[in-house]
Amino acid sequence: MTEVRSEIAASVWKVMVEAGQTVEAGATLAILESMKMEIPVESPRAGTVTEVRVAPEDRVAEGDIIAILD
Amino acid sequence: MLQPVPETTSTDPGANDGTWQPEIAELHRREAMAHQMGGPDKIDRQHQGGKLTVRERIDALLDDGSFHEIGALAGRAAYGEDGGLDTFMPANFVMGRGRIDTRPVVVGGDDFTVRGGAADAAVWQKQVYAEQMALELRLPLVRLVDGTGGGGSVKSLDTDRRTYVPPLMGWHYAVDSLATVPVVALALGSVAGLGAARVVNSHYALMVRDRAQIFVAGPPVVARVEAEITKEDLGGAHIHGRNGVVDDVVETELEAFARTRRFLSYLPSSVYELPARGDQTDDPERRDAWLIRAIPRNQRQVYRIRPIIESLVDETTFLEIGAGWGRAAVTGFARLDGWPVGVLSSDPYQAGGSWTADASDKVARFVDLCTTFHLPVVHLVDQPGFMVGLAGEEAGTIRNGVRAVAAIHQTQVPWCSVLIRKVFGVGGAGHQSSSRLSYRYAWPSGRWGSLPVQGGIEAAFRAELDGLADDEARQARIAEITARMEAVASPFRTAEAFLVEEIIDPRDTRPLLCEFANLAAPLRHAGPTVHGYRP
Repeated sequence: MTEVRSEIAASVWKVMVEAGQTVEAGATLAILESMKMEIPVESPRAGTVTEVRVAPEDRVAEGDIIAILD
Repeated sequence: MLQPVPETTSTDPGANDGTWQPEIAELHRREAMAHQMGGPDKIDRQHQGGKLTVRERIDALLDDGSFHEIGALAGRAAYGEDGGLDTFMPANFVMGRGRIDTRPVVVGGDDFTVRGGAADAAVWQKQVYAEQMALELRLPLVRLVDGTGGGGSVKSLDTDRRTYVPPLMGWHYAVDSLATVPVVALALGSVAGLGAARVVNSHYALMVRDRAQIFVAGPPVVARVEAEITKEDLGGAHIHGRNGVVDDVVETELEAFARTRRFLSYLPSSVYELPARGDQTDDPERRDAWLIRAIPRNQRQVYRIRPIIESLVDETTFLEIGAGWGRAAVTGFARLDGWPVGVLSSDPYQAGGSWTADASDKVARFVDLCTTFHLPVVHLVDQPGFMVGLAGEEAGTIRNGVRAVAAIHQTQVPWCSVLIRKVFGVGGAGHQSSSRLSYRYAWPSGRWGSLPVQGGIEAAFRAELDGLADDEARQARIAEITARMEAVASPFRTAEAFLVEEIIDPRDTRPLLCEFANLAAPLRHAGPTVHGYRP
């Protein structure tokens, strides 16, 4: 199990995956917005998304979980 | 703990031939005892903990066979009734001179196998001597810290029968060294109190993941005021690799030694020398074609800065410093046509590269480091400004940010800015000193101003916008004003007014940076700088 966390404080702009989906390493899981920039959260490895913890317009703090991979 | 004294030969042939051979034999016998450190059991425990002994560390760090030890004979001796040496416990700090890549250095390390590196087994003069030697001989200093390394133990009250005002023995040497010689400090075990201070009072601090912990005071002390906590939870790399207490976290001790050697390779032995030119291993005229598309045309899209840095500097010479903390700022050493330089930039993946409070702290320290050791600086600027928002305000961003800008204004090292994208706000304005001529080039992707157009319109046209009847009309007016403003945002309009000196093809950047390094080399001044270095 891998917890993919936000490296920054930001708002969630788009969520690109849903639970049950398989992803490749480097796939964009969500796109955050901070300082007017779109900042992708990328999958650290290939796997299956078991849970997505954020929705568009959520605020996330540094270290918050974005998604969980199995 | 006390070491049994090896048998001696009472029939030494030198005893009667007028030479000093008996004393030389005694010298070697005592040196051999020092080499036993805390004894086989303690050495086994050190190894089982995944750690090298201090002597193994020194050998691994230095050029082969180059260690010249000083003070091996210092320790606690016990004498028998016949006046002969009974047992000997070496001091728990091993130090001397040696070489790294053939250049002389001073190295000193705690011996955790002797009383866990604690003060009551110290001969504290040895530590002070190592610090003084590095400072006065103008040699880089490497501290191998594994223990409290000099701080007091409550136990000493039993033996001393008095208390004391805590001293910082020889600390002025350690502080003066920061303005004089490169100091690298490695946390190689659990280090508390003065040991932690000896790690941080340096130009480059490293810790080994899972093996090293750093704290003001360890779990037993903390348990008196807070909950019980493990050493790793209290002061592990996951904490201090993210907050700037150490510059970098490494996975093994050998990696720590390799990074130490590499860090020192960019620096002079002291501020009284200039950083030496290295081998010219890469074509200064190399123009990587992909740079013309390195910055996305979509201004909201981020990109990776590190491949750009690596493309511009001499191949494989970029040594990033502090990748794990203050991550909106990217800092490190590199070479341009062989000349060592400092490289400063931003990582757009980290809040657009906006300087946060901790990123600003990192920038200030890095610029001070380059200033101290006379490294010209290349600044690849993509700076949307200091971090805005409540979290940024609570972190005191403007205080740290302005410190970084002050460091940039105070430095006298040659400076070259390349405006690769954004230059906004005070953070952007502070990309170079306004007090002197700096090299400056802009890429066609450059965008700048006091405020980005997108954010500034609502503030600048508030009265007009507030007068509009509904939100639809408001959005329409914002779009209209935005289009008007964007039309004049072209960097060519700025260049017409000579407010930016040159717009260049990004592919020409490396040749221009190599020219900068070559022209900057004779402008560097050896000697101490006006502002001492603070850790």
